[in-house]
Amino acid sequence: MLHQVLQALETASGPVSLDELSRQLGIDPGVLEDMIAFWVRKGRLQAGNGGVCGGSCGGCGPQAQECAFRPAGPRVITLRERMQ
Amino acid sequence: MTAGTLPAPGAALRYAPPIETELERLVTALGAIPALAERYPLRWLAIQLLEGDDDLLAEAEGLGGPTVTAALAACRERLAPHYGEDLDVALVDQRYRFVHALAGQALTRPATPPLTLSDRIDRVVTHRWLGIPIFLALMWVVFKLTTDVTAPFVDWIDATLSGPVSAWATTLLGVAGLGGAWFESLLVDGVIAGVGGVLVFVPVLLALYFALALLEDSGYMARAAFVMDRLMHALGLHGKSFLPMIVGFGCSVPAIYATRTLDSRRDRILTGLLVPFMSCSARLPVYVLIAAIFFPSHAGLVIFGLYLTGIVVAIVIGMLLRRTLFRNQPPAPFVLELPPYRLPTLRGVWRQMWERTAAFLRKATTIILATSVVVWLLLALPVRGEGRFADTPVDQSAFAAVSGATAPVFAPLGFGGWETSGALLTGFVAKEVVVSTLGQTYAVADLEEEVATAPATFSEDLLGIAGGLVSATGDALRALPGVIGITLETPEAETAPEGLAAAVRAGFEASSGGHGSLAALAFLVFVLLYTPCMTTVAAARHEFGSRWMWVSIVGQFAVAWLAALLVFQGGRLLGG
Repeated sequence: MLHQVLQALETASGPVSLDELSRQLGIDPGVLEDMIAFWVRKGRLQAGNGGVCGGSCGGCGPQAQECAFRPAGPRVITLRERMQ
Repeated sequence: MTAGTLPAPGAALRYAPPIETELERLVTALGAIPALAERYPLRWLAIQLLEGDDDLLAEAEGLGGPTVTAALAACRERLAPHYGEDLDVALVDQRYRFVHALAGQALTRPATPPLTLSDRIDRVVTHRWLGIPIFLALMWVVFKLTTDVTAPFVDWIDATLSGPVSAWATTLLGVAGLGGAWFESLLVDGVIAGVGGVLVFVPVLLALYFALALLEDSGYMARAAFVMDRLMHALGLHGKSFLPMIVGFGCSVPAIYATRTLDSRRDRILTGLLVPFMSCSARLPVYVLIAAIFFPSHAGLVIFGLYLTGIVVAIVIGMLLRRTLFRNQPPAPFVLELPPYRLPTLRGVWRQMWERTAAFLRKATTIILATSVVVWLLLALPVRGEGRFADTPVDQSAFAAVSGATAPVFAPLGFGGWETSGALLTGFVAKEVVVSTLGQTYAVADLEEEVATAPATFSEDLLGIAGGLVSATGDALRALPGVIGITLETPEAETAPEGLAAAVRAGFEASSGGHGSLAALAFLVFVLLYTPCMTTVAAARHEFGSRWMWVSIVGQFAVAWLAALLVFQGGRLLGG
C-alpha cells in the first residue's frame, strides 16, 4: 500500500489534489496523510508550503517587509528522487 | 466504561512468515534479559527495534548490553534477502494492509462517499475545462473592483492633494517667510506632486488587497494555483511554478524567494525568470493612471488584458526557455493539499489589507520620497537656457537632458518623449515611481501654465474635502453593481481631460505622431514587461547569482521592447 502512493505520484500526468489521490487509491484521506508523512520521514517525499518563508518574515531574505505579500500557500508534496 | 472492561480485539496482527519467525527469535532473546522484560512489552519492543528506532535501541542496549545488538543484527541479516534495506517499510506497509483489510470488513461505507460542500464547489472550480474560465472571470471582477469602484476615491484624493493640501503648504511656507523660494517648489512640485501622485492610488491598492485577501482566505487561491498548474504542466512547464507566480501578483520580491519551493536549481532559475512577468501590485497605479486618461470607458478591460498578457508572456517565454536553455527531464507531478473553503473573517481580511497597504506607505515615505526629491533636484537644475536653480523651464533641466538621451530608444515604440523616458528610468527604483515622475514632470509643466484663481478659506477647503468624500462614496456605491455587469446610471459623455491628464495625453500624442492611445497602450505593455525594480533584481541576484540577474534585466527589457514595438507599429499598420 505504501508503495502505491509513490507509484501514483510517479505515474501522475499532472498535479493531483490530496482528495483526488485518496479516491484514486481507495485510501481514507486521514490514512493517506499518515502514509505521506511516513515517506516524508523516510526522505522519499518532500512536503513544503507554497508560500515564501516558514512562518515569520524574518526568514524571507533581505527585504523582510515585502513579506506582507506572502500568501498562505497550499501544502505541496513532491517526489524527492527527481531532485537535482 | 473503563479500559479494563473492554474486550480484547478479536483480530491479531500477523506479519509475513519470515518477519514473524524473526520476531519470535528476537522476543526470546530480549526476554532473557529481565531488565527489558520488566520494562517493555517484548513483541512491541522487537518490532520497534526491527523498524530502526535508534533511541529505543540505545535504551535497550543500556539495559541489556551487547546481547541486544547481536540478536538484532542476526535477525536483520536473516531478513535482508527478503526485504533488503526496506525492512521498516515492509513492517509499516503490512500494518497498513492489516488495518485496511480490517476496516474493510468491519465498516459499512456508502458506495459513493458523501460529498462535502468543499467537494461540490471543487467539482466546478477545479473542473478540467471550467477551472480556467472561472479563474479569468474572478480576475475580471477583481480588476473591475480596483478600477471602476475606486475611481471616485482616487479623484477625491487627487483633488485634495493638488488643491487644498498644496495650497495649505504654500500658505504655511509664506507665513514662515519661505514662500516663492526653491523650498516651496521642492515641497509642492517635488514631495506633494511625487509622493502624493502615488498616494492617490491607495484606494486602488486597498481594493486589490481586499480582493486578494478574500481569495486567499476563502481557499480559492490554492485552487487557482492548482488549475493553472495543470495547464502549465500540460504545456511542459513545471507545474509548481505557478505558486510563486501567484505570489508575484502581490510583489515580485517574495515571489522570487518562493521559487525555493521548487526542487531543482534549473526549475528555480527558470521560474525566477518568469515571475517578474506577472504584474505586481506596484505596476497597478501606472495602469490606472494611463488607462483612465486614454481608455476611461474601458479601463477595467485594459488592466485585465494587461494581467492576462503577463501570464501568457510568462507561459510562452517559459515554453521557449524549456525547449532551449532549460532542456531537461519532464517536470515531476506533485500532490497539492487543497484546504477546505472557509468564510473569510472581517478581521483577517482587514489585517492583510492593512499589512500590505502599510508596506506600500512605508515605500512611499522612503524610496518614493527619496526618488521624488532626486527627480525634483534634476528638474530644478538648468543645463540649457538662462534659467536659475528651481526656476527653469523643465525641458531645459538636467532631468530632461538625461532622460532625453535615452528617449531615442523608446521613439519606435511611440513614447519617445523625455518625460516618459525619464519615468521609465526612475521606474527601475520602484514601479510606482513611474507615476510619481510622470506627475512631477507633467505637473511642473502644467503649473507653469496655470492661471491663478481666488484662494479659498480654510473652512471652505475643509467643507470641500468632506463634500468630495461624500460624493465619492456615492459614486463608488453606484459603480459597485457594475462589477458584475449591472449599470445603474447612463454613462456620461467623455469630457476633455484637464490638468495632468491633458498634459500626459498631449505628451503621448506629440511623441507618437498623433497615435496617442496606441502609444499609451504600448507604454502599458512596456511597463508590464520591462526590467523589474531594483529590489527584485537584488532578490534575483541573491537567489540565482549575478549571471542570471543580468539575463533577467536584459532579457526582460528586450521582451518588453519587442512587445511594445509590436503593439505600436502593428497597431499603426492596422490603422490604429
